[in-house]
Amino acid sequence: MTTPRYLRTALSGLALLTATLLAACDGGSSSAAASAQAAGQVADKNAVKPGSADQIALGRYLTKAADCAACHTTATGAPFAGGVELASPFGKFYGSNITPDKEHGIGKWSADQFYKALHDGVTPDKHLYPAMPYTSYRSMTRADTDAIYAYLMQQKPVAVPTRAPDLSFPYNMRFGMMFWNVPFLKDQLADASTGKSAMWQRGQYLSNALGHCAECHTPRGAFGQLDLSKSLTGSALGRVAAPNITPAGLAAVGWTAPDLQTFFATGIAPQGSAYGEMFPVVHLSTQYLSKDDLTAVTTYLMGDQPLPPQPIKTINADAMELDAGKRLYTAVCAGCHGFQGDGKPHVAVAMKGNSTVRNADPHNLIVAMLDGIEAQKFPGTESLQDMPGFAGQLNDKELAQLSNFLRATWGGQPASITADQIKALRLSAAAH
Amino acid sequence: MSMTIHPITMHINGKPVGPVPVPEGIMMIDFLHEYLDLTGSRLGCGQGICRACVVILDQPDGTSEEVRSCITGAHFFEGKKVRTVEGHAQRNEQGEVVALSPIQQKFLEHYSFQCGYCTPGFVNAATVLVEKLKRQPVTKAQLDDTITEGLNDHICRCTGYVRYFEAVKEVVLSTPGLVKDAK
Repeated sequence: MTTPRYLRTALSGLALLTATLLAACDGGSSSAAASAQAAGQVADKNAVKPGSADQIALGRYLTKAADCAACHTTATGAPFAGGVELASPFGKFYGSNITPDKEHGIGKWSADQFYKALHDGVTPDKHLYPAMPYTSYRSMTRADTDAIYAYLMQQKPVAVPTRAPDLSFPYNMRFGMMFWNVPFLKDQLADASTGKSAMWQRGQYLSNALGHCAECHTPRGAFGQLDLSKSLTGSALGRVAAPNITPAGLAAVGWTAPDLQTFFATGIAPQGSAYGEMFPVVHLSTQYLSKDDLTAVTTYLMGDQPLPPQPIKTINADAMELDAGKRLYTAVCAGCHGFQGDGKPHVAVAMKGNSTVRNADPHNLIVAMLDGIEAQKFPGTESLQDMPGFAGQLNDKELAQLSNFLRATWGGQPASITADQIKALRLSAAAH
Repeated sequence: MSMTIHPITMHINGKPVGPVPVPEGIMMIDFLHEYLDLTGSRLGCGQGICRACVVILDQPDGTSEEVRSCITGAHFFEGKKVRTVEGHAQRNEQGEVVALSPIQQKFLEHYSFQCGYCTPGFVNAATVLVEKLKRQPVTKAQLDDTITEGLNDHICRCTGYVRYFEAVKEVVLSTPGLVKDAK
């Protein structure tokens, strides 16, 4: 937060102070100019002078929109010095140092080389693995990669070596990426929605080229490639699965465009809060998107003609099973989530209409109950306290009963969860 | 919400309680306060953060753990053994306190608490910690971290943390068997 520094220099006039506060209320003062830049005025963007303050401001906005920090900045490390771990079936990758440090960072790279890395996955000295989502960044315009380059070159150089990936054979053979790129590096990702409007097209660019949504939300094939025939239908690469965010998938669990925009801007909406790997996405990236860009992203995800959100179906389920689940709910859940599933403001989200409870796939519901969710501070003043995991408190049968109660009562989903499903996710916890 | 009544039975501070008919979904702290007149446990935040309301749950395997009574339903404790802050001191037949527990005594001697609102939670947390150390002693080098970990979640708005810490440390060091290399 830069306000105190502004305040110190604002003594000369109340007007300046007021302007600063207004800007702070806007949710990120210095992004305001960049937001205007980034709102789709291509002609202006091309006119931005290389190395100018405007280009750097645009680069700052785009770096957030592309969520570079997710992998290139650790919670305790210097900005863009790398080190965030990314687990995959092939081994562990670590975000690289992209500060302008000449030895360890990208200080010796030209803007051309930076573009080649984002566009082709090839750096001056090696082939990148697609853990770096050049498969998505490939569609970025040269003007935008130049702006990101200009912004990164303004950062403080940090002399931290990039940690080498920890991969099993044969994936540790980097040159293999040459052969991977031929079939799998596409100029265009497949769209899950239909649309033609300018908003939809801007959203397509924001979601695919910058936000790289598909990298988590599209399932992957045996070689780690995006399965573009199933664009955005959801994937479970991490412990928390990335849900289906196709127009049908979003409508099925009750999302509307305004709620989705609220979710991206604040991390929390009536359908639930961002958790798992989506929390840092909101924290580092989507909260900074301009209003127009948020509208564009949701227009792209839901299509020019969005499907209406589905009402919660009434479920007939075995009364004994539901009663057992209800008793468990009132014993260990209702204190925070409410007897009627309404949640408590600033404490816990509602269960009624929660998109995780409504998801036909119970994966994330079960994982949340087993592992819990860390306390989260959302943009602004919103926060949720930590949810304890119940792996040690409730057994498989009890967690199945609880899942079934939640699904049938507030999720419109069948009470079909078995103790074996709980057991499988309990055992797989160690792998993540 | 329609009010459904479920009877509840448990052991509290070594004595059988119930069956008491209570509304489904009542929180444990309300059950203690309103039905049993055990008002020592404090309702602080009401959302599981401050830990003033913590009670001790005694497991069948002899271990003990803290449970937040403000966010845990009374029926969670059905058939279980619970200790509250009222259960630590020794009492005579008239119910008068004749001796405090070692933790309570040291909290007094160290002036650990000021307003005292968080104290029931700290007494229970420290008691659970001492009982854990009886089962699994630590080395002297690990002790500071172990105590910090044991008390860390508890909030004291008078900021008596250091005195709580020192009191617990004195109890642990003066009780045989809690630290592997005490001498």
